[in-house]
Amino acid sequence: MHCKDWEERIALHVGGDLPAAESSAVERHLGECSGCQVLWSGMKESLELLLRAHAEPLPPAAYTAVRGRVIAELVDRRRVWWRWAAGLAAAVVVMLVALAVWQERPVPPLPRLAMAVPAAPPLAYARGSERGPVRSHDRKGVVPTHRSPLVPRQPLLVRLVTDDPNIVIYWIAD
Amino acid sequence: MALAVLAMENAAESPQAQLGLIEAAKAGDLAAFETLMRQHERLVLVTALRLLGSLPDAQDVSQEVFLRLYRNLGKVDAAGNLAGWLYRVTANACHDVRRRKRPESPVEFAENLRAGGADPQQAATEAERRRVLEMSLQMLPEKERAALVLRDLEGLSTEEVARALGSSEATVRSQISKARVKVRSFVERYFRSRNLGSQ
Repeated sequence: MHCKDWEERIALHVGGDLPAAESSAVERHLGECSGCQVLWSGMKESLELLLRAHAEPLPPAAYTAVRGRVIAELVDRRRVWWRWAAGLAAAVVVMLVALAVWQERPVPPLPRLAMAVPAAPPLAYARGSERGPVRSHDRKGVVPTHRSPLVPRQPLLVRLVTDDPNIVIYWIAD
Repeated sequence: MALAVLAMENAAESPQAQLGLIEAAKAGDLAAFETLMRQHERLVLVTALRLLGSLPDAQDVSQEVFLRLYRNLGKVDAAGNLAGWLYRVTANACHDVRRRKRPESPVEFAENLRAGGADPQQAATEAERRRVLEMSLQMLPEKERAALVLRDLEGLSTEEVARALGSSEATVRSQISKARVKVRSFVERYFRSRNLGSQ
């Protein structure tokens, strides 16, 4: 039987994972304790067995298969990418052609404009006044109205003459 | 001639040559990427195999790791840390695979042990060593197995193992010591059982 207290340190000592001071303490203990020596040599042998098995090479086909799968996947992804890029490029070309065709289309002449500007409205005079036009600041007690019924507003009339003599467009802005 | 080839291979694995390969692969050179894969395929596939115990699963993980490497070529530190990156990504990918899979029950495991030990034809052969390796790793808890594989089989330092597994050095040391004790006890039981079976 080995000493439980020393088990962890012996396990670390087997792989050289202990600092020098602790390592020499373990070696001293191993010199005195046959149970721990059995534990140490058993651990060393089992690790060596594992290492020998680990060092055995895998069949080359195992690596080739992985490499082949990775390269095939990358080539496939690249193909998909190129397909997308080609599709995008084709879409851009179609859009550019459509834009060029649209810009080259015959443009119909614009309708001639004829604007009839009405005469300026006459100035309003206060009823019974002879002095001239009434201004708000010289009429005490009279509240000026924004839209006096005495000042009729004339609408703005725009007449659009088209090529067709039968069609005349009027645009009236109040 | 053989020495020259060996020298060329070594030169190809120098940090500068590796940087050149990474740059070429980044620029879309698949042949350069394949060379990079050849240089690291043993590291990835064998580590995955030891962690998972199944070659098809290990190959799937290797494929995933190399595709991840291709996507992250720009991020991988070319100054000698590619191996560390690969160990970390491989360990993580194996952890994901194991999480998705049902763990082997102790009863099945005991059956395996008896079946293997009863066959005298396998005595002291490579196949038996491989079998002991696989079985002793399979009976370890995942973290202890990962620590043992990286430290004792792959030969990484405790610090490198801690970095690859994302844990502290003290934790890694504790996991390694527990794993070594368990492996030793398993190997002894295995050979005792085999000897009893052959008598």
